[in-house]
Amino acid sequence: MMQYGLLVMGAPYSSPAPHSALRFAHAVLDRGHQVAGVFFYHDGVHNASSLMAPPQDELNLHDAWIELHQQHAIPLDVCIAAALRRGLMSESEAQRHGKQAFNIASPFELTGLGQLLELQQRSARFITFA
Amino acid sequence: MILHILTKAPGSSAALQMQQAVAGQDSVVLIEEAVTAALDPTWKAWQQCQSRIYLLSEDLLARGLATIAVDNQLPTLEMGGFISLTEKYEKSVTWY
Amino acid sequence: MAATNALLVIIRHAPHSSNWLREGLDAALVAAAFGQPVHLLFMGKGILALLKEQGSGAPGQKATLPTIDMLEMYDIDKLWVTKEALQNMHLSTDSLVDGVTLIAEREVAGLLQQHTKILNF
Repeated sequence: MMQYGLLVMGAPYSSPAPHSALRFAHAVLDRGHQVAGVFFYHDGVHNASSLMAPPQDELNLHDAWIELHQQHAIPLDVCIAAALRRGLMSESEAQRHGKQAFNIASPFELTGLGQLLELQQRSARFITFA
Repeated sequence: MILHILTKAPGSSAALQMQQAVAGQDSVVLIEEAVTAALDPTWKAWQQCQSRIYLLSEDLLARGLATIAVDNQLPTLEMGGFISLTEKYEKSVTWY
Repeated sequence: MAATNALLVIIRHAPHSSNWLREGLDAALVAAAFGQPVHLLFMGKGILALLKEQGSGAPGQKATLPTIDMLEMYDIDKLWVTKEALQNMHLSTDSLVDGVTLIAEREVAGLLQQHTKILNF
């Protein structure tokens, strides 16, 4: 059994990277490994948007990540700098920046790039999807 | 030893950069758009990484390229095989 | 060079084309700020980030050069560029910032092997 860390840098519905990452995560877990965490960086931060509303016949990637979290307690960390500059923020960040809406909520957590490096350090395997 | 994951088609800068970076013991998994490599059995990477480069079956099937990959006698692997390679190789680099 | 614990950050994207370059350099700087040794390898259009005469971009688009200039302060002193990549872009080292180390393209694979941690941007 090994710890896998995943880095997702592709945006939902623009890049196949989120789909590939989700499929990979499930396959890794099926094999009996653990996923130590998923870090969303670059355009990958859009995966965390609770406001995405794809047509019903398409997978809601935001919900798919939450399901992965609920089933396996996998941390979903989002780079705060990459998120803020793309208009993704939590309620507290929205207040701080004087914005009237927010679109990131638990289990997604806004965090710094230090978390990415820490995830890379403690994962036996670190796989990027971009 | 490194597992290289290529997500872009042969001829892309990602593919060329990966080809520069591959060493003798490395393996390559072609996913997403990179599975269009099934169309080109003359692609240099097939020779360069002989017997250590694979097309991801699921992504071939999704794009209607599975039969062509078989006809061109190119090696494929399924998601489980991809996971096995990540078990074998401590390091991986994704080229996109 | 023997195996190293340094983080290798590969930069492959040009300034003012996408945010890959900025966010790649940010990752390098944060790693260095956390005390991790960081080495940079510039491939393909990534070497355009090292042009010493570059300015800022379209209105409001941040310049890259100040970040490149900051690398030294973060003890990031390995900036590898391949001779072949320079030739392909019809550039010489005269056009680049100081402190760049030229390597041959065939050395790239070895560099990747030597680093236990790699981030590719």
